[in-house]
Amino acid sequence: MTAIEKPAPHLYDEMLCNEGVHEHYRAYLQWLENTPDATLEQKRREADTLFRRFGITFNVYGEEEGTERLIPFDLIPRIIPASEWTHLERGLRQRVTALNRFLHDIYHDQEILRAGIIPADQVLTNQQFQVAMLGVDLPGHNYIPITGVDLIRDSDGEYFVLEDNLRTPSGVSYMLENRKMMMRLFPELFLAQGVAPVEHYPNLLLETLQSASDADSPCVVVLTPGRYNSAFFEHAFLAQQMGVPLVEGADLFVRNGCVFMRTTTGPRQVHVIYRRIDDAFLDPLAFNPDSMLGVPGLLSAYRDGNVILANALGTGVADDKSIYPYVPDMIRFYLDEEPILNNVPTWVCRREEDLAYVLEHLEELVVKEVHGAGGYGMLIGPKAGPEELDTFRQLLRDNPANYIAQPTLCLSTCPTMVNEGIAPRHIDLRPFVLSGSEIKLVPGGLTRVALREGSLVVNSSQGGGTKDTWVLEGAPC
Amino acid sequence: MKLSIDHVTDFTYDTEVTHSIQYLRLTPLPSAGQQILQWHLDVPGSVHRTLDTYGNVLHVCTVDQPHQGITIRAQGSAEISEDEQPESDNRIPPEVFLRTSPLTQTSDAMREFARGFRATNADAQAGRHQLIELMSALLERIPYRSGMTHVQSSAADAFAQGFGVCQDHSHIFIACCRWLGIPARYVSGYVHAGDDQHIASHAWAEAWVENAWHSFDVSNGLSSSNHHLKLAHGIDYLDASPVRGVRWGGGAESMRTYALVDQMDRRAARLRDKQKDRLQEQQQAQQ
Amino acid sequence: MLSRTANSIYWMARSLERAENLTRLLDVSHNMSLMPNSKGGQQELLAPLTITGRLDQFRETYPQLNAEALLDFFLFDEANDGSIFSCIRSARDNAHSVRDKLSSEAWESINATWLELRHRRQRGISHEGVKSLIDWIKQRSHEFRGAAYGTMLHNNVFHFMRLGTFIERADNTARILRVKLEVMESQHNSNHAIDFYQWNALLQSLGAYEAYHDKYTGGLTTRNVTELLILSAELPRSLRYCIGALMSQLIAIEGDQGQAAKRLCAELHARLEYGEVDFITRFGLHEYLNDLLRRIHTIGEEIHRSYWEGA
Repeated sequence: MTAIEKPAPHLYDEMLCNEGVHEHYRAYLQWLENTPDATLEQKRREADTLFRRFGITFNVYGEEEGTERLIPFDLIPRIIPASEWTHLERGLRQRVTALNRFLHDIYHDQEILRAGIIPADQVLTNQQFQVAMLGVDLPGHNYIPITGVDLIRDSDGEYFVLEDNLRTPSGVSYMLENRKMMMRLFPELFLAQGVAPVEHYPNLLLETLQSASDADSPCVVVLTPGRYNSAFFEHAFLAQQMGVPLVEGADLFVRNGCVFMRTTTGPRQVHVIYRRIDDAFLDPLAFNPDSMLGVPGLLSAYRDGNVILANALGTGVADDKSIYPYVPDMIRFYLDEEPILNNVPTWVCRREEDLAYVLEHLEELVVKEVHGAGGYGMLIGPKAGPEELDTFRQLLRDNPANYIAQPTLCLSTCPTMVNEGIAPRHIDLRPFVLSGSEIKLVPGGLTRVALREGSLVVNSSQGGGTKDTWVLEGAPC
Repeated sequence: MKLSIDHVTDFTYDTEVTHSIQYLRLTPLPSAGQQILQWHLDVPGSVHRTLDTYGNVLHVCTVDQPHQGITIRAQGSAEISEDEQPESDNRIPPEVFLRTSPLTQTSDAMREFARGFRATNADAQAGRHQLIELMSALLERIPYRSGMTHVQSSAADAFAQGFGVCQDHSHIFIACCRWLGIPARYVSGYVHAGDDQHIASHAWAEAWVENAWHSFDVSNGLSSSNHHLKLAHGIDYLDASPVRGVRWGGGAESMRTYALVDQMDRRAARLRDKQKDRLQEQQQAQQ
Repeated sequence: MLSRTANSIYWMARSLERAENLTRLLDVSHNMSLMPNSKGGQQELLAPLTITGRLDQFRETYPQLNAEALLDFFLFDEANDGSIFSCIRSARDNAHSVRDKLSSEAWESINATWLELRHRRQRGISHEGVKSLIDWIKQRSHEFRGAAYGTMLHNNVFHFMRLGTFIERADNTARILRVKLEVMESQHNSNHAIDFYQWNALLQSLGAYEAYHDKYTGGLTTRNVTELLILSAELPRSLRYCIGALMSQLIAIEGDQGQAAKRLCAELHARLEYGEVDFITRFGLHEYLNDLLRRIHTIGEEIHRSYWEGA
């Protein structure tokens, strides 16, 4: 095998360290060193062909409608030792519990606002705050059955939460397909190492969705915007794995306060909608009147408690970047605990002193739009030219409330197969948390990797790839 | 004042509609300012009654059978209190009505216009009298004229246009209030404009000042609602509109709507007059 | 089952069947066009255009009718929504929107066909030759059918798929037969040699050439061809067979919907099951086929009304 390019000394690498290799990667590295380049290359081609044939693709916005692309898949897994995962899992449970408490609170008594922990106007006038949710009681007070939390590691290897995804987090299908692919390509690795399984995720998801409803045997559906949506593959995949119908808005209708789907044997009532459509498009009679994706009348049925939406309406206010800085305070306020997982330090530009600091140190910081997603509308200070810096300075002065800033993070790296051989590339981790009658996680999550050298942008829409994520159950043998 | 209402909305479609659904906010709720004597809503299809986000009565009406048209009729009578009765209900935090929406965003010109109505004391909010001034200035700046704007027009569109109807007046007023930091909301309902049989489906605004919701009817230059029967309120027209629907099929649509608002004691008098006339006619015919 | 899913499955199957039928037709046209004109070569080139009703559309784009233009129009022309390329794209798009309802092998098969077809289109017909391209399409069609038969539950999804296949196939057989008849009638002086090639081409394009010779001894006669293609209970592309299959799929679909479609289908099936060649001849073959096509069309409309408009 060709040598693995050394990681940069000031960064944390998942596999390699000063002493050579991290203990949990030892067995894998040994295997890798004994595997000829030609074999790896052949496996890589095989994976590519298979993914394309399975149609595991995503659509890219802004390109010709229906352009389907493969998300590059990297053969070298990201490995997490059991002890680390236990810590992460505790932190995630804590965080998701607090976020859910926050959502219930702001749509009911608003204690956290009255206690002055978060400025009321920042919540109440937030466009993601849904007035329609005020006073609505959800079974089990469960707002966020499905959460994806983006984690990164700094140069010491400490984990930080970069972002919570409480609306329609995607990527879990890649987690599952990546595992399937790795087991197909390298069965010998799985025989030798105790990799915690993830394949039961769809079962857990179905249980979670069913438990969100009070109905006896609830009818669950997955609601997709349709096959041109970037994540259509995932919608179809999850529906199939759970054995539930994959519906589009036009398949559903509202009558007498309930939601029905049109079937070949007549209307059938729907109890739980795992919706992969944003709030604004759910009901053209209540929100965006031009939306063709939603179900007219859905909001009335939902507010009457005759159908469950997963996730609930209005969860976006809790993962908004302007609210993110307050999550540690939520954990203290609702749970009376110290956060197990830390936030990335964040300057809230609507605060005058923060804005001043940000303008002063722009070339060191990452500036993000509070409502942006997918790595768009973002400034990476150290990589920006003077012109771009000036543009952002102006944007910040014009509308400071629209931005937050964070230090440039040195995301950890992981050896990755690239054209030049095997080299370190930056990665993050998105574990998926399912909240029903209890909180459940499958070990690991989706590891995204920025394939361009030095790049910190892991989003698939901007050239990111994925890796299989292994949580090793015991000591590697 | 007793008002009697007869409000008919008639949709006809070029081709068959296979399925349609409407959100109807056509049922007034009793409050300090209005007492509902009787009310009846006549709609086709299956109807489900509930309360919407803002506590308005909402009827969801689904028609499953193929149809060529829909007729919705609201009829009833109400006693309107002579004195202004500001509502102090704050089940929904008033700050919610500081939110902007696509229809109520301010333009540079609007901000320029509203700037003059800021409270003089930097710490204080503008009070009710300032909003009354704002209302009068607004009507002067954007006189009432129909046909210049349409239902989709935003506050900024109408302000640029220079003319508007009650919907536009209300949107502009609300947008300015919110920009001044005063919660404000859109109200739909009926107004009795004095002359009988006036087309009277109407819109006005409410603003949260002095810890209560006060009415501002810009188009009529009224800072009270003692000629008004309120149906619903919301962030903007889309939230409070009496009829909002979606249909499958149907091609082009034509809508006819009329609302008769009559003062009841006067109507009774007119009926008596008519009967007398008829009696006289009959007598003359017999002779 | 969702109405939209049923609809997509049905159209996926119809598009695939259409592509396969067209492939056979092109195969025959291509063979015939190699013959001297005296044996009806030019007529044969016209056949696919008249059968699919696309003569005018063809003339708008292509100045001349020759084998090359015809193949281009029907194989790869993106602007022609009846081309094999368009049919397979539409089948794949429909499959994509309901991929959760197909077995992964069936989905992979149709997806791979689409990806490969795009690739072959880029390389152009000349790269591999018409014949191998046509064979490849037929093979892919067989593979999908095999994957679907062998790996999917024979439940509603499957029934709607077969419904699409057989209604398209019945329509295709009736149309081809009608057009052939018109061609032959237009040639007043019945020329035995031309007739032979015409009937021969017809049987080939319905994959029924071997079946004919298996069943009948002696030459090709109108009577026998009519009997085989309309009334045979064994030939998978005969009208009787297709309508019988349509019938059993309709019955197998769960629920009380579709009574009208079932009734019309049963009536038509009875006409075919107990039909006789003599009756058809007396009735007039041409008129008989028109009547059949009308009935098939009505059944299609009823399927639409019951399963996806009425729900």
